Amino acid sequence: MEHFDYESLGLKCGLEIHQQLDTEKKLFCRCPTVLQGTREPDFTIKRYMRPVLGEMGTFDKAMLTEYEKGMNIVYEGYNDVICTYELDDTPPFSCNEEARKIALQIALLVNANIIEEMHVCRKNYLDGSVPSGFQRTMILGTDGYITLESGKKIRIDILSLEEEAARRIKTENKTNYFRLDRLGIPLIEVTTKPDISHPDECKECAERIGLLFWSTKVKKVLGSIRQDVNVSIKSGTRIEIKGVQKLSWIPLLINNEISRQIKLIEIKNELAKRKISSDNITEDFTDLSETIKNLKSNFISQGLKSGKKLYGINFKGFKGVFGKELMKNYRFGTEVSSKVKILTGLKGIIHSDEDLENYGFSKEETEKFSKFLKSNPNDCFVLVLGIEKNVNKAIKVIIKRVKNAFEGVPPETRKALEDGTTEFLRELHGGARLYPDTDSKAIINKSSEIEEIKNILPRYPWEVIKEYSKKYNTEERMIKELIFDGNLALFEKLIKIYPENPTIIFTTLLETTTALRRDGKDIAIISDQDYMELFQELKYKNIGKEAIEEIMATKADFPDLSIKQIKEKLDIESISTEELEKIIRKILEKNIHIIKEREIRALGPLMGEIMKEVRGKIDGAIVSKELKNQLEKKLKELK
Amino acid sequence: MEDQLKGYRGKAKEFLKKHKINIWDIIALKTKKTKLEGILLPRYEHSAPNLIEIKLENNYNIGININEITEIAKIGKREAKYKIPEKTFPKNDLLPRVKLLGTGGTVASRLDYTTGAVIPSFTPGELFSSVPELAEICNLECELVFEILSENMKPEYWQKLADKVKQAANSGIEGVIIGHGTDTMSITSAALSFMLKDLSIPVVLVGSQRSSDRPSSDAALNLINAATVATSDIAEVVVTMLGSPSHDYGLIHRGTLVRKMHSSVRDTFRTINDIPLGMVRNRQIKMFKKDYRKKDKLETIALTKFEKKIAIIYSYPGVEDELIDFYIDNGYKGIVLAGTGLGHVSTNIYKSIERATQEGLTILMTTQTLHGFVGMDVYSTGRELQNLGVIPGKNLLPEVAYVKLGWVLGQTNDKKQIKELLLLNIAGEFIEREIPIAFNYNIDELLEKGKL
Repeated sequence: MEHFDYESLGLKCGLEIHQQLDTEKKLFCRCPTVLQGTREPDFTIKRYMRPVLGEMGTFDKAMLTEYEKGMNIVYEGYNDVICTYELDDTPPFSCNEEARKIALQIALLVNANIIEEMHVCRKNYLDGSVPSGFQRTMILGTDGYITLESGKKIRIDILSLEEEAARRIKTENKTNYFRLDRLGIPLIEVTTKPDISHPDECKECAERIGLLFWSTKVKKVLGSIRQDVNVSIKSGTRIEIKGVQKLSWIPLLINNEISRQIKLIEIKNELAKRKISSDNITEDFTDLSETIKNLKSNFISQGLKSGKKLYGINFKGFKGVFGKELMKNYRFGTEVSSKVKILTGLKGIIHSDEDLENYGFSKEETEKFSKFLKSNPNDCFVLVLGIEKNVNKAIKVIIKRVKNAFEGVPPETRKALEDGTTEFLRELHGGARLYPDTDSKAIINKSSEIEEIKNILPRYPWEVIKEYSKKYNTEERMIKELIFDGNLALFEKLIKIYPENPTIIFTTLLETTTALRRDGKDIAIISDQDYMELFQELKYKNIGKEAIEEIMATKADFPDLSIKQIKEKLDIESISTEELEKIIRKILEKNIHIIKEREIRALGPLMGEIMKEVRGKIDGAIVSKELKNQLEKKLKELK
Repeated sequence: MEDQLKGYRGKAKEFLKKHKINIWDIIALKTKKTKLEGILLPRYEHSAPNLIEIKLENNYNIGININEITEIAKIGKREAKYKIPEKTFPKNDLLPRVKLLGTGGTVASRLDYTTGAVIPSFTPGELFSSVPELAEICNLECELVFEILSENMKPEYWQKLADKVKQAANSGIEGVIIGHGTDTMSITSAALSFMLKDLSIPVVLVGSQRSSDRPSSDAALNLINAATVATSDIAEVVVTMLGSPSHDYGLIHRGTLVRKMHSSVRDTFRTINDIPLGMVRNRQIKMFKKDYRKKDKLETIALTKFEKKIAIIYSYPGVEDELIDFYIDNGYKGIVLAGTGLGHVSTNIYKSIERATQEGLTILMTTQTLHGFVGMDVYSTGRELQNLGVIPGKNLLPEVAYVKLGWVLGQTNDKKQIKELLLLNIAGEFIEREIPIAFNYNIDELLEKGKL
C-alpha cells in the first residue's frame, strides 16, 4: 500500500455509519423487520419518480440526473410482511418506541446532546430505493464524541434515527427491482466531524463505533452495518465514498482517494502549464458513422451496422491526460468512462492515449480518425459508440468532465469497490432535499426517560475487551470477534455455567461455528438455550468436549431435537474412570507387539485406537493421562 | 403582515419577544449542553409549549426547550427567495384547447423546503415546468375558480363550476379538466353530471392521493391521463384517477357511479355497481363500455338551481325519532336515508318518517351497502316504508342521491314531478342491470385475461 505524508497533505476524514436496530417492528409501521431472503415475492407494483421543484423553482441536480436516466421501478412485496405503508399508500403510524429507546442509548454512549423535540424530516431519493421518494429521518442527538485508544476524541456531529431503504435486487431493461422487506427497518446514522487525520485512525474509529453499536440491541448480521467515508486533502475536495463493506478496506480506499486527488490536482496544474483553459474546450463533436466505413475493428463495424452512431471529439493539448494513472489501474480516461457508463448506460469510451490496436484499429485507421477530428499529436481524441440518444448524452458528460479537470477534483459521491478503488456513483445532492414531514407529529424525548436509559448504559466494549482478555487469558481479538459475531452476551452466560475452561467456550463459539458453517450447516438454528444445555452437559461430565462439534452439527440437521435427545441419539454416554481403565487395559493387551516395538512412542497410535471407542464420552486429557500411566507400568512389567 | 411569532404562545412567546427574535431570524444559541445555530421557524398552534423550533444548517428541524437555553442572539435573517420558473406553455395549433379549472387541490406544486409547505403551481407556464408532457397533448388554459379544501366544497361552488364549464363548452374549448381534492371529488362529479344538460365536451375531475410535492406523487400521471381523456370523444362528467397501486393506467369513472373507497391508496376511486367506462394508459384510451355520451354540437346548458335544505341520515341500531324531527322542525325539504341492507330503517323512526312526508319532505332511500339495489318490496318493513311515502332510490349511492335530491328539488316543487325526476335516469346514475363482476371486479386480472 502506498503511504503519504498525511499531515502535510492535510488529510481530513469523516465517517458516516449506518446500523439497523434489532426491533420487532419497523420504524413507522407495524410490519416485522425480518428479511425474506430469496423467497419469491407475492406481488409487484410499478412506479415512476419525478423530481420535485425546490423552493428556488429549480430541481436538485442529483435528482435530475437520476430522473434523466429514465429508469422504471418495480417493487416486490409479500402479503404477510408488507403493508400499504411501505407501498407509500398509507400515511406513517407513530414512531416505534423500541427503536427510539435503542437510538437514545447509542446517542448517550457517544455522549451526545439529546434533542428534546424531534421533527421527522423527509430526505428525497429518486433512485427508487424508497417508494415515497424520500426517507423519513430525524435528528436525535448532536455534539457527541468517541474516544480512540490514543485518547484522541473524534467529535460526533449528529445522530439520526431513520428508515432503512428497500433492498435492490437487480437492474434489467432499464428497470430497477427493489424488495420491500428491508424498507422501514429502523436505522441509526452516526456522522463524525472530519477530525480523523490518518487512514488507520479512520479504521479504528469505524471499528469503535461499530463495536459500540454491537454492544446494544442492533441487528448483528452481514449488511446490517454500512460505512461511508469522507476524504479530503488540502486543495482537493471533500469526496464521499459510499458502501464501504469491510473495515479492512478503509485505509486502502483512503490512500487511493488521496492518490486520485493528488493526480487530479497535478492534471489541473499541468493544463495551466500548457496554457489551456476550460474556454478552449470545444463542444463540437463529429459524427463519424458515415465517414469511416469498413473498419477493421469488429465491434465498431458491427455496432454501426446495427444503426449505432460513432461520435468523435478532439481535446486540444490533452495528450497524455486521459492516459494519466490516478490510482491503480485507473486512469483519467477511466474516470471519464465510468461517468459515461453510469449516466448513459453506454459501455464506455475509447481515447487516443490508449493503444488503439487493442480495439482492432489499424494504424491507418487511427490516422484517419486523427485527420477527420483534426487531432494533432499534442491532442487527445475520444470516441463513443451507441444509439444516437445515448451518444449525444455521453458527449455532454465527457465535455463536462473534461471541463471539470481545470478545477482539480469535482465534488461527487463515489462508490467503494472491492479492489480498494472507487467509481463515480452520483452527483452530490444539494442541500435542498431535506424538508419537514408534514405527515407526522413532533416526538418528545423526556428528560426522565433519558435519565433512566443513562442509568443502565452498557460498558464501553473496548473496556470489556481489555478486561475479558486479561481475565480469560486470551487475545483481545477473540473478544472482539465475539462482539462482531453478536455472541458476547452468550459467552457471558456460558462462562457462568462452565468457568473451568474459557478456551473451550471460545473455540466453540468462534472456531466450531465457523467450521460447521463452512460445511454448510445452518447453525443459526442453535439457540442460546441450546448452547447453555450443551455446556451444562459438559460441566456435569455427561459429555466430553470432543462431542460438542458433533452435537452442534446434529442440532443443525435436526432442529426439533433437544440437546439431551441428540446426546441419546448419538449414544453419547459418559464412561467412568474405572471403565476407561478397563478399555485401556484391553487395548494394551491387544497391541502388545506395538508396545514392544515402539515402547513409549506407542502412545500416539494407542491413543488414536482408544479415542475411537471413547470419543465424546470422556475428556481426551483424562484419557491421555491414564493411558500414559498404564503404558509406563506395562513397559516396566515388560522389562 | 405575517405574525412575527406565528404559532408561539405562553412562555416561549414571551421569551422570544424579550430577546427581540422573530420567525425567519437566524439565531445562535447556547444550551446547558451545546451550541446551535439555525432559523427560527413558525410553529403549529397545538404543539408543545415552552419549545422553540429551528432549522439547523444541515436542514434538519428540531425543537429546543427555552429552559435549556442560556444564551440566544439574532445573527441574521433568512432572505425570502421564492422564484417561480418562467417557462411559456408551448402552443401547438394542431392540438385541442383544454381548460383546467382549479378549485384548490394541488395537481402540481413546488415545495418550500423550510416549512414543508406546498406552493401550488397553477399557471400554464408553471404546470409546463412540472409536467412538460401536457404540451404534447393539448393547448392548456388555466383558471383558478376558487381555492378551498375539498371538504369545504358546497353547492354554490358546484353552481359556479357548472357555469364555467358551460362557458368553456360553448366557446370552442374541447375539454375541461377540474383539479379537485379527492375527498369530495365524486360528489362534485355527481353534481356537475346533473347540472350540465346536453354536455358537448369531456369534463374530467382529477386530483392526487399523494401530494405533488413528493417524488412518488400520482399527480403528474393523473394529470396526463386527465388531459388525454379531456381530448377524447367522451362528453360526460368523469373522474380519472389511477386504477391500480402501480403508476400504470388510469380508470375513467362515470361521474354518478364513482366513489372514493379508501382513505389513502392511489387507486381509491371505484365505479360502484358497474365496471368503469374505460381506461387510459400511455395516452391511449380503451373503452370498456359502449353506452357513453359522445361529443356533439349541442349547446351545453347549465341547470344549476339547487335546494340546500336537504340532509343524509345514516341509519343505525337505536336511531330515534328526534333525529328526523330536527330536520322537519328546521325547515328541511328532503332527506336521503342510508338504510341497512335492502333499504330498511328501525321501526323506531317510522313515526317521524310519516310526519316528515306528511309535512312535505321528500324522503329517498339508499343502502349503506353501496353495492346493489334497494329492494323495498321484499320484506314487509320495506313495503311499509313505501306506504309512509319513502321513495326507493334503486342503486343510487347515498351521496349521489343527496346531490340528485337537492338538484331535483331545485328544479321543481311539484310532488309528482319530484318523484318522476328522482326516478328518471338523468346522468347515467341508474343501472338497469347489475353485471355479476360489478361487485368485485379486478381490472388487472380482467386485462390480463383479455376480458375487457
